[in-house]
Amino acid sequence: MKRIWIFLVLIILIIFGFIIYNKYSIKCYEKDFYYFDTYINIKIYSNNSKKVDKAFNYIDELFKSYHELTDRYNSYNNLINLYTINNNVLKDEYLKIDKKLTKLIKYGISLYDKSNGKIDISMGNIIDIWKGYRESGYGIPSLEELNYVNYNKISDIKLKNNQIKNNNLNIDLGCIVKGYVTKEVGEYLEKNNLDKFIINAGGNVLTGKKYKKDKYKIGLEKPTNTADIYKIIKVENKAVVTSGGYLRYYEYNGNKYHHIIDPETLFPTNYMESVTVITSDSAYADFMSTYLFLLPVDEGLEIVNNTEDLEAIWYISDDKIVTSEGINKYE
Amino acid sequence: MQKITRLSSLIALSIVLGILESFIPLFSIPGIKLGLANIVIVTTLYIYGLKEAVLVSILRILFISVLRTGFGLNLYFSLGGSILSLFGMFIAKKINFSIIGVSIIGSTCHILGQITIAIILLNTNLTYYLPLMIVLSIITGTIIGYISQENIKFLKNK
Amino acid sequence: MNKKDVILIITLLVIACVLLLFINQEKGNTANVYYDNNLVLKINLNKNNDYDVKGYNGNIHINVKDSYLSVTDEISPYHICQKKKIHNVGESLICLPNKVVIKIENNELDAIVGD
Repeated sequence: MKRIWIFLVLIILIIFGFIIYNKYSIKCYEKDFYYFDTYINIKIYSNNSKKVDKAFNYIDELFKSYHELTDRYNSYNNLINLYTINNNVLKDEYLKIDKKLTKLIKYGISLYDKSNGKIDISMGNIIDIWKGYRESGYGIPSLEELNYVNYNKISDIKLKNNQIKNNNLNIDLGCIVKGYVTKEVGEYLEKNNLDKFIINAGGNVLTGKKYKKDKYKIGLEKPTNTADIYKIIKVENKAVVTSGGYLRYYEYNGNKYHHIIDPETLFPTNYMESVTVITSDSAYADFMSTYLFLLPVDEGLEIVNNTEDLEAIWYISDDKIVTSEGINKYE
Repeated sequence: MQKITRLSSLIALSIVLGILESFIPLFSIPGIKLGLANIVIVTTLYIYGLKEAVLVSILRILFISVLRTGFGLNLYFSLGGSILSLFGMFIAKKINFSIIGVSIIGSTCHILGQITIAIILLNTNLTYYLPLMIVLSIITGTIIGYISQENIKFLKNK
Repeated sequence: MNKKDVILIITLLVIACVLLLFINQEKGNTANVYYDNNLVLKINLNKNNDYDVKGYNGNIHINVKDSYLSVTDEISPYHICQKKKIHNVGESLICLPNKVVIKIENNELDAIVGD
């Protein structure tokens, strides 16, 4: 009889031991989201599952909110978003918008000067024309066609106290929103002591503190064969973003036309297959990767080599890969 | 003479049960089975002893391989499961567990043995199946144990 | 059924629960396809795609969608490996008659970036 009780007590002690061990050991909590037309995977390394749950809920709301606000193709009940603004027929009316959208648009406007005009969020009409041709897969737009709709200027966007003037705008925030929201998510996680994480928002990666001896290993997809990885970088507390034209494009008359349009030429560029940027700020990484993609490689290389906390890798072709001077700290 | 006849019918019964249960695939790993034929093994163990149980097991596995499953991986799964199962049941019987307890231990060891061999031979990590398997073996073990118990009572009274 | 059996059952159930706590499923990035124990294909689970792999009885058709991999076509008597989809590190599909094993290996990489 007595032996059975000893046995039972031992079992209970072992259970407690395991539960305590688990409570204080770091586990990987992972969640997938689907926003901005892309899969977002977030891994948080923590020992506090309640905090992680709360964080995932907050992050979901945050993504959803920005997704709806920047959606150019759908309207949502009681929400004034880009679709509303871009399709509003009442000219010169001021529309009241969410503070988040105001800040994001202001940020987008600031990038125009920073990039010498290469990042232009007022280019919705141009993007739409190219999207149409890309989906039909036939023909390319003429300069007349493009110039005809190119009446939107960045200076037409007038913001006043969380209100935006309707000025026949066609704002597209697609090239900056992912990095911008990822940055906010990162800040939220750090503020809440969930500082070991890795976010992958469809090519926009943000890493927090490392959770094990090694830093986060990020594989760079080979543009000419996406099943392959051409380089592995090791990072911690950095954002890694790639811009490339090798997935969304179409071919016509032997040429490839992808989805990243140069505001000056109104055509896609052809300087490289892809460029990957490594820096601390996720929004800046998103911005720089698009900017560098629209610049000739040597111009981009000069900028990166002269900027602190910024490294980049250009995949020009299978036999030509260019890296910035400080890249070895991530190899 | 009577013993040989009895043993033969036991072996035949276990072969039939084994073939029947091989129609139920488990965990998308071909060859892993529930162990229903253990009813016969447990019965043999209690009525005759370990040696005879081992004999019945091995003959059953060989016959089933010849008749139905072939001599591939299934053979190794069955052997691994049966050996561990017999070992476990023999010890459990010695420590005076009831027939049902012995049978549960037998089922658990049987599935454990099969999974272990599968992990080694297929070089894949199947340990995440363990919780489900343990629960399954408790259930099948209890059922088999109960049936065996009645069986043994019946046979011992004859 | 006596006291010892009850203790046995409880112990086993406890072990099963404890094991559940330890099982930490991580989403996989790549799946390795082996034919007759030789690595023939590495599949990126982050891209939706279809693949054809030579099996012993004929071609096996593999589909990857939303990071879930499944075998959608296979020449075999019972089609056991077509019955489930795999997603996490450690999971595998075994198409025994065709000698094909598809395993999601340990993630060497934490993420893969592309366009």
